[in-house]
Amino acid sequence: MNRQTLRGQVLKAIGVVVLICLSLFPFYWMISTAVDTSPLSRGASLLPAGFTLNHFEYVLVDAGFLRYVRVSVVVALGTVLISGAVALLAAVAVARFRFRLRTQVLVMVLMVQMVPLEALVIPLFLQARSLQMLNSILGLITVYLAFSLPFAIWNLRGFVAAVPRELEEAAYVDGATWFRMFRSVLLPLVAPGLVATSVFSFITAWNEFIFALTFMQDSSKYTVGVGLRTFFTQNSADWGPIMAASTIITLPVVIFFVLVQRNLAQGITAGAVKG
Amino acid sequence: MTQPPIRPDGATEMVRRTVPPGRRMRRTAAPWLLLSPALVLLAVLLLWPLIRVLNLSLQDYELRNLLQGTNDYIGLDNYVQVLTDPFLWKTVLPNTVGFALVCVTLTMIVGTVVALFLNTLGATWRVLCTTAIMVAWAVPALTGTYIFVWLFDPQSGLVISTLDSMGLMQPGSVNWFTNRLTFYGIATINVVYHGFPFIAVTVLAGLMTVPQERYEAAAVDGANSWRRFWNVTVPAMRPIFAVCIILSTIWDFKVFVQIYLMPGGDGSTREVMNLGVWSYTQSFAQGEYGMGSTIAVLLTSLLLVISVIYIRVLMKEEEL
Repeated sequence: MNRQTLRGQVLKAIGVVVLICLSLFPFYWMISTAVDTSPLSRGASLLPAGFTLNHFEYVLVDAGFLRYVRVSVVVALGTVLISGAVALLAAVAVARFRFRLRTQVLVMVLMVQMVPLEALVIPLFLQARSLQMLNSILGLITVYLAFSLPFAIWNLRGFVAAVPRELEEAAYVDGATWFRMFRSVLLPLVAPGLVATSVFSFITAWNEFIFALTFMQDSSKYTVGVGLRTFFTQNSADWGPIMAASTIITLPVVIFFVLVQRNLAQGITAGAVKG
Repeated sequence: MTQPPIRPDGATEMVRRTVPPGRRMRRTAAPWLLLSPALVLLAVLLLWPLIRVLNLSLQDYELRNLLQGTNDYIGLDNYVQVLTDPFLWKTVLPNTVGFALVCVTLTMIVGTVVALFLNTLGATWRVLCTTAIMVAWAVPALTGTYIFVWLFDPQSGLVISTLDSMGLMQPGSVNWFTNRLTFYGIATINVVYHGFPFIAVTVLAGLMTVPQERYEAAAVDGANSWRRFWNVTVPAMRPIFAVCIILSTIWDFKVFVQIYLMPGGDGSTREVMNLGVWSYTQSFAQGEYGMGSTIAVLLTSLLLVISVIYIRVLMKEEEL
């Protein structure tokens, strides 16, 4: 019996190591290529030949990647602020009020998340073109609102519903108006949910590629994703700088994501997992 | 006018009267007021474009139509042309559907196995492993794809170098990105790597809600762990598996970035096109927005069917 549990422990330990190594390997390979002194002749060696920050310097300073980072940050922050405010109001409506068509509204919010971006990119491109909104940061933010809103509403709805109704009623008893109650009771209590939702809106906007590629044709308005493509030339790729730029794109997302991980699975399956 | 009903104790029914009409109006208007910014945005940015893409799919719409502001309706010609094109049936549809099926199956298997494994671990190790797979989840599709392209780089990537050191293959002797099967093999690894963490985390959350007594009862009845998985875990977790399978199907059907950013995936190798890439390149590389819209409509209708099933499953499981 004792030998069997020992064997079980060893197998488990091996499982843990394999799982962690496989999960982190692509991430590790990206970073280690980015700091490698000679990535193209690295071959199959697991460790880089040497440590250098030259690729990062080249990417940020010489290749002007910082400009793309700035565009992406502005776009993502704009999306976060507007979609957070709009989604919070909508979440209060569906979590706190029983009204006709409520279920239909919720189903619609779910359904629109299924629409493929490829179907939207054609009409929105034509529309943006006739409105002179191509190459406009505001235009891109507007489009990203549509993608981040449904998930934000869905996610925030759970946080609003979790606030006990009695707290709201207590505020009313104390003579507060609805807006006073919203500001002093509801808002502070859903703040953690708002932070989590903002992080996901940020990631949505930061990672988006198709619309950024289609809308931003002027290289001064490239986002990080589109800017990354400029490092590829026909038939050849200099992987050191490409992986350095990829690291710059990936690192903030990974850090944010791991910080708010707990909220995500719940948000997507939307209560399908009870308990 | 109906009289307020007289209650047995003699008091008149006053419930409705206690709410003044003004406040009742506010009570009905309030949710719509709160919803209106979101609804307006979604209508303008999602519903209207969907109607427009349906409209465009019935036209021979090219850039000149846009410049002149003219329409050129041709009925269902685009649909006939797409649906009778052998390219759709021999290349694009197999690439889309086959790839999605393989990815969903593999993602579900890997995700479930990882979840079952995580469920046997103590709290510390579980948190550590969960954090590691969260990193796999978090790596953006965009950069994740480039990492896999680099790993499989035919000249100096890790895979070819490893094969070279084992004496199996010379660097540069083969280009995996020009062959349909190996191209999609790499895309599959990429998509499964990106997708399994969600399944693992969701299934793990579900596993924790399965009452422990059922496993004990099954063990007493002499069921081994394989039987216990099929006879206790699977029935208890059916709704969760259903949601996971449908969501993965939806995601894997509309894979775009992971294909488009691979070498040759942007339409230059026609063999490896899927519905999304075909629609995009037809519109933005060929300038045939009408035809591109038609393909997009086909993709959307495919997803719509799956989505309707998803919503029905979800509605059965919980009150929205």
